[in-house]
Amino acid sequence: MSEEEKKRKWLDGFKSVLYGMAGHDMARYALKTRGSMEHLFILITMGDLLGIPILPPYYSLRLLPYVVPQISTWKRRMLREKDLTDALA
Amino acid sequence: MSLRDFIEKYPERRYLMFGGKGGLGKTTFSATTAYWLAKQGFKVLVFSVDPQASLSDIFKCDIFGKGAVEIMPNLFAQEIDADQRIKAYQEEIRQKIRTMYGLEEVPEEIENYIQAAAAEPAMEESAIFDAVVDIVISGEYDYYIYDLVPLGHALYYLSMASVYDEWIDKITALRAEMAEYDKVAAVMQRSKETEEDQILQELMYIKNRINTSSGILTDKQKTAFFFVLVPEEMIILDTQKAAGMFAKYNVPLSGYVVNRVIPPELGKQNIPDYLRNRLEMQKGYLEKIDTLFGEQVLARVPEFERDITGLPMIEKVANAIFR
Repeated sequence: MSEEEKKRKWLDGFKSVLYGMAGHDMARYALKTRGSMEHLFILITMGDLLGIPILPPYYSLRLLPYVVPQISTWKRRMLREKDLTDALA
Repeated sequence: MSLRDFIEKYPERRYLMFGGKGGLGKTTFSATTAYWLAKQGFKVLVFSVDPQASLSDIFKCDIFGKGAVEIMPNLFAQEIDADQRIKAYQEEIRQKIRTMYGLEEVPEEIENYIQAAAAEPAMEESAIFDAVVDIVISGEYDYYIYDLVPLGHALYYLSMASVYDEWIDKITALRAEMAEYDKVAAVMQRSKETEEDQILQELMYIKNRINTSSGILTDKQKTAFFFVLVPEEMIILDTQKAAGMFAKYNVPLSGYVVNRVIPPELGKQNIPDYLRNRLEMQKGYLEKIDTLFGEQVLARVPEFERDITGLPMIEKVANAIFR
């Protein structure tokens, strides 16, 4: 292993530690926010699934195929009762 | 100005529409104008967006849901079968879900939603609206003549388009924001490029469709919208009201066609009081129409001795309007 490679390896390791210390939580937070937005998106396009009439369904049907996998978790989340432990999550 | 002058003066107005209350003669004038233009050598498509379309009746030829049917040289007519279109569309969605996820059957919950969506009242209007885009985009014809649905529906179309448009803008913005979060997470985790958001592309497609369809209805360069009315008080009042509402949605109102005018020459003959009274009544309302709409009255079409069906009768009406 050359000096150059050693240096790069050490740097990569250092970056990972830095990421773990600071970045990981931020990334997790960003993904979580994005997840919430995904659910909001499904709500405003497919609200009819919960019996909330939203807007003309003709074009929202076009979007349906893309959200199929998320629908069951979305429904669970929308219909769930909130309790104290939610605040910790 | 007459209807003929108008069409000759504005040859770039290739989308002609006749609107008005039900039963006043929208289909008659759509068919007649199409007939006359075809005779002038233009390739014309007259089509109906009315679920209870009557082009089949006026041309005495069943064209419902059969695509553009050639009635005579240069003249094509089409009636959109909304139900059939919705069914095909639902199947398209199901197929997409099956192929996207390699499923044999669409999950029950999703299937229920697809079926429930089709029962919504707005579904039919939207389907027809969407079909019109297909028809017009192809650009095969010199003239497109819309046999519109009665007033309420037409206004509903237009208001729906603007609501749709705003809705799309909102969710597009949300979608774009979501993509931002994706990117942030990807940068921090130092992973590769995020995959392109297909939903965003669909939204762009939908927006484009809606803008095209409502754009045609409100294009001041290419569209002419004519109101059909008859000389009766209630109709005049309603037409005035509707004209105001259409103007609000930027529909280019181009003129009025007065239908069912009893030929005034009859007054010189020995006619029964019943007819004479009607003649007097119409005279009053025709004056009212002239003061209200003035120059914009493009034609007065006489009441004919029988209803207008079949090409010979259509020709007769064409001769009366486009002398």
